[in-house]
Amino acid sequence: MRFISVILLGVLLNLVNTHAYADGIVVDKVYHPYVLPFERELEWRIVSHQTGSGNILAQRIGLGSAINDTMSLEGYIIGERDDNGDFGLAGYEVELRWQLVEQGRLWADWGALFELEKHHNSDVYEATTGFLWEKEFGKSSLTMNAFLVYEWGGDIKNEWESEYRAQYRYRYRSEFQPALELFVGEDFFGVGPGFIGLHRFNGQRQLKWEVGFITEISQSEKNHSFRLALEFEF
Amino acid sequence: MYKNLSRGYLLLLLLSPLNVKSEEFILILKDHLFYPSEIYVPANKKLKLLIENQDSTPEEFDSFDLNREKVLYPARQSVIYIGPLSPGRYEFFGEFSPNTARGVVIATEVTNADN
Repeated sequence: MRFISVILLGVLLNLVNTHAYADGIVVDKVYHPYVLPFERELEWRIVSHQTGSGNILAQRIGLGSAINDTMSLEGYIIGERDDNGDFGLAGYEVELRWQLVEQGRLWADWGALFELEKHHNSDVYEATTGFLWEKEFGKSSLTMNAFLVYEWGGDIKNEWESEYRAQYRYRYRSEFQPALELFVGEDFFGVGPGFIGLHRFNGQRQLKWEVGFITEISQSEKNHSFRLALEFEF
Repeated sequence: MYKNLSRGYLLLLLLSPLNVKSEEFILILKDHLFYPSEIYVPANKKLKLLIENQDSTPEEFDSFDLNREKVLYPARQSVIYIGPLSPGRYEFFGEFSPNTARGVVIATEVTNADN
């Protein structure tokens, strides 16, 4: 297991240091490397990306379920509103999350993510794979995601890209956990505050929310993103 | 140079003891109750909770304080790794029977009797 951890870390570091970065809106969810058996969830995510030239709004609705003790599968429908104000179906995605080690067993927790996306009405495909990592420090947790992305199809130049996401959160109370988030992608280096919360209903039903306000800091142009994710687990 | 040093540092962190033997504590879930409902554990150490679900239905161990969620299958022993914990009380409950299946882990500083 130690050997695997070292290999995974090396790949993660190389991903972070690579010079190819991913297209599109980089700000999105920071994934945690955990899966619960019997977990089913309905998810809604929205990212509003404001630049000097206009606003892009991306939304996705997903439905997912654990398929065994360590893996969960989720399907998404993605919609986007472009700078011209046109909102429409943008793509479809299927995602597999895999918890690689029992939480707390090793020095840090590891998981993996695999995604396949097809753009609507265009011959564009995107496959993503990467590592999910989390380390607990008392009441704080540091989560990092490193992804390698391959885009291909008749309507796009085939290329490899990478993305990196990080979230440091303080588990103050279940309803309010302040966080600091970092997103790195193509021509994008954004940081900003956020918060995460959770409300339990009866049994396994619970509502999770994540909010982030990310500002791009590597360039002088206006570039802000607001992200909201709601997950209803049942 | 700096990049290599930071890589080396992270490598060392990963090579540091990963599978230190953890002290084990046994919990029983029976009739939707945890026995014992209070567990005293040493602070600042990695620990292993062995939970045996003797009920005929699954339960989900949940604790925001311990930052753990785990499904406890019926007639099976589940392992939950916790800690190192600061001294204090850490509540947990069963999501399917939150009114009855409740307990608390109490982490205390271990004092040396020779002192």
